[in-house]
Amino acid sequence: MNNWISKIPEQIKLLAVVVTVIITAFLIVRPMLIPAGFGEQGHFRSGALNDAVAVQFKYAGKASCVECHDDMTDMLAGGYHKKLSCEVCHGPLAGHIDDPDENTPSFPRERTLCPVCHEYLSSRPTGFPQIVSQSHNSLKACISCHEPHDPVPPDVPSQCSACHGEISRSKAVSHHVDIECEFCHTTPELHKTSPRQYRPSKPQNREFCGQCHTKNSKHNTKAPRIDLATHETRYDCWQCHYPHLPEAR
Amino acid sequence: MEEIVQHLTPLLDQVTGYIYPNEIELHWGLLVVIYPYLTGLVAGAFILASLVKVFNVKELQPTYRLSLLTALAFIVIAPLPLLAHLGHPEKSFEIFLTPNVNSAMAMFGFVYAWYLMAVLLLELWFDFRQDLVTMANESKGFKRLFYRTISLFSKDLSEKAIAFDHKAVRVITIIGIPSAFLLHGYVGFLFGSIKANPWWSSVLIPIVFLFSAIVSGVALVILLYMVITPLRNKVVDMLCLDKLASYLFYIMIVDFSLEILDFIHRVYESEESISILASLVQNKLFSSLVIMQVLMGMILPLFTIAAVKTFKVPADLRKLLYFISAILVQVGIFSTRWNVVIGGQLFSKSFMGLTTYKMTFFGLEGLLVSIGLLIMPFIILWILIKILDPWRSEDAALSTPTTGQ
Ligand code: HEC
Ligand code: HEC
Ligand code: HEC
Ligand code: HEC
Ligand code: HEC
Ligand code: HEC
Ligand code: HEC
Ligand code: HEC
Repeated sequence: MNNWISKIPEQIKLLAVVVTVIITAFLIVRPMLIPAGFGEQGHFRSGALNDAVAVQFKYAGKASCVECHDDMTDMLAGGYHKKLSCEVCHGPLAGHIDDPDENTPSFPRERTLCPVCHEYLSSRPTGFPQIVSQSHNSLKACISCHEPHDPVPPDVPSQCSACHGEISRSKAVSHHVDIECEFCHTTPELHKTSPRQYRPSKPQNREFCGQCHTKNSKHNTKAPRIDLATHETRYDCWQCHYPHLPEAR
Repeated sequence: MEEIVQHLTPLLDQVTGYIYPNEIELHWGLLVVIYPYLTGLVAGAFILASLVKVFNVKELQPTYRLSLLTALAFIVIAPLPLLAHLGHPEKSFEIFLTPNVNSAMAMFGFVYAWYLMAVLLLELWFDFRQDLVTMANESKGFKRLFYRTISLFSKDLSEKAIAFDHKAVRVITIIGIPSAFLLHGYVGFLFGSIKANPWWSSVLIPIVFLFSAIVSGVALVILLYMVITPLRNKVVDMLCLDKLASYLFYIMIVDFSLEILDFIHRVYESEESISILASLVQNKLFSSLVIMQVLMGMILPLFTIAAVKTFKVPADLRKLLYFISAILVQVGIFSTRWNVVIGGQLFSKSFMGLTTYKMTFFGLEGLLVSIGLLIMPFIILWILIKILDPWRSEDAALSTPTTGQ
């Protein structure tokens, strides 16, 4: 027996001691360091749920404003901003619900808030109202012309570019720069006030583009010519050429 | 709100095309570049060391201990950039207490611990045990206690015990090679398994990481060997240096082929991300990828070493060329890490736009801290060399052949 132990090299014995010490220390310390409730419901401390529940609410939500400000909620619900939350402009107001006189909301009267959503950005969807704030009536506050709870342009926009910024900008640098929007889209006047109800027309067939581009077109333009009968007949023209920025090479 | 707008607006000028709002700012900065760079050096240096023990490459013996100590010095620092980046370093041990097997990142703690404790420290201990015991015997007072402690109060200097040391080193090295592969392959795996990012998501990434790690480790040992040897008033062993350079050369060829393979594979597959990746490489990463990583860090050193191998170059010039090549390789591998980590965040997941990385100088994530982290391993290496005196027996053998010890 003794003989058997003494045959083990010294190194192994020493290392075995070290490893045993480390492992025992780990096993003793581990239960002390693991937070209470860990693993009861998953790989987390179950008390964390209570912590999350205990977090103070900062936002009250739109529904809670109705009780005292039904005039404003009604006005908002009837206008273009109907989908916005009150607190996106007035700041977090949970405290205000509890004590309206103590916790007064903020009023974003400066020109900085509105452009967060309305500044021109090519990635914003078609038809989303956008402006370039530097050139859009740059000296006055937005709310001096637009009521924030029911924003309408004080005048009906005269240009399609007010709402179709990206298309207008593309067309302005394209070969089609000289063609008016209305040449290709018959636009009812009401489109500019209720754009989703009254939709402009869109070109329907290849012949439309053919007006200017077919071989024997009478249009006196410098438009390059193609043969309608042979040029890619299986598709509409705009499946290959973006009409607002046509390219051929 | 106001603050965020003010903070992000200047960054917006750098953005081209369309990107999502949370992509303007990069979340992984310079520190996360340094982390794979350091672990790569660890794995590379270790694999170089194992060539001596497992494959019996005698020429490399002078660098064996140096490589091991380099690996140790760098692995101690390797997790620091991560801890600094994540914040709350005091909580980091918790991943060991409550292992989460579903998290690749959490499991890395175990890979790291295994490699440090079961491979590196163990191999070093067996390799240095004889020296530690003799050093303890030769010194007194606190020093003696210190050497006794790190030798774990070992005393046995019999022939049998020393033979056992050698055997143990060999066995550990054999376990160590796959472990070193695991260590750095794992770092690559962390990136390669992020499937939402086409720049990272590739099965080849772990392997590419691994080979670039070996390249950088070998180059680092070349540099260290060439700097430290003259400082010790010794002569650089040209046989060893030539061998190191050859290994560097062959591994670089493998690494380069893998990278080319990855490149061709991506271009041929031409997934929908290819056009944004192409514009990433042509614009934002042009200098760091095409010039620094490929031309300076890969092709130039490859040609230099190839030229040295083909023509008869005098030793002094050869040293100079090796030295320059090794430095270029370091620059190249650092750029590789940069291009992976930073490059992977410069393009939008919409594949329609690019953003820019703005490096800060001060602060926890800044350049200053990073430089500090890159210098620290060298200080540790210096201390280790002072304590362990790795060339002890070699020097003794040179000055007084066959003493009794
Ligand atoms: C319990 C009733 C109550 C609720 C609920 C309530 N408010 Fe008020 N709010 C008041 C009162 C009362 C005042 C007037 C305080 C004053 O004039 O000093 C006020 C004032 C305001 C003002 C400033 C008006 C001004 O002229 O100074 C704003 C803006 C406002 N509330 C927004 C909100 C919003 C948004 C909500 C929903 C999140 C909300 N309030 C919910 C009672 C309420
Ligand atoms: C688009 C941003 C915006 C939204 C959304 C918004 N407000 Fe306002 N609100 C303002 C601004 C700006 C003023 C200041 C108007 C002024 O000074 O003429 C204001 C003023 C007010 C006032 C006081 C002004 C008055 O006429 O008495 C009340 C009350 C108010 N808001 C309540 C609400 C409530 C309730 C909601 C949600 C139903 C809401 N607001 C949503 C921007 C907003
Ligand atoms: C949180 C984002 C947001 C903010 C902030 C915001 N708006 Fe709007 N705004 C919208 C949305 C959404 C619409 C509706 C667009 C639609 O119908 O497609 C809209 C519509 C409008 C319209 C278009 C009405 C029309 O005739 O088409 C105007 C004008 C307008 N807002 C002005 C303002 C002003 C002024 C402010 C600042 C007080 C403001 N907005 C702040 C989101 C916002
Ligand atoms: C001097 C008055 C005035 C001021 C100040 C003003 N606007 Fe306008 N806004 C108009 C008029 C008039 C239009 C009609 C469109 C056109 O012809 O350009 C308009 C149009 C708009 C539209 C597009 C309308 C639509 O139906 O799509 C938006 C969005 C808008 N404004 C937002 C703002 C914002 C945001 C500010 C502040 C940064 C602002 N406006 C300041 C007068 C004003
Ligand atoms: C007040 C803002 C506004 C103005 C001004 C405006 N539009 Fe629109 N337009 C819209 C909106 C909103 C849509 C709907 C977008 C959607 O549903 O995707 C739209 C849709 C369209 C469509 C697509 C219709 C469809 O069925 O797909 C065309 C074409 C169009 N507009 C042309 C014009 C032209 C031409 C002008 C100028 C004469 C113009 N619009 C002026 C807001 C505007
Ligand atoms: C050369 C003819 C032409 C001109 C000029 C033209 N469009 Fe169009 N537009 C089209 C055609 C064709 C389509 C249908 C494209 C499709 O269905 O894919 C279209 C589609 C649209 C749409 C709906 C599809 C989309 O891209 O969102 C809008 C909005 C629109 N045009 C706005 C405009 C505006 C605003 C202008 C002026 C600045 C304009 N167009 C000028 C031919 C034209
Ligand atoms: C009112 C006449 C007119 C209509 C209608 C018209 N175009 Fe054009 N188009 C032109 C003119 C003029 C040019 C050449 C402008 C130039 O060279 O500067 C042109 C150029 C082009 C080009 C060549 C661009 C290039 O890169 O050389 C294409 C493609 C094209 N249009 C496609 C279309 C399509 C598709 C439609 C139908 C949606 C259409 N066009 C309708 C007048 C028209
Ligand atoms: C299947 C895709 C496709 C369709 C559909 C298509 N085109 Fe083209 N088009 C092209 C391509 C590709 C070119 C450039 C190569 C060439 O010249 O054939 C071109 C060239 C042109 C040119 C420039 C010719 C020149 O000599 O510069 C015009 C104008 C044109 N197309 C108009 C049209 C019109 C109008 C229609 C609809 C009747 C149409 N295209 C439909 C693909 C298409």
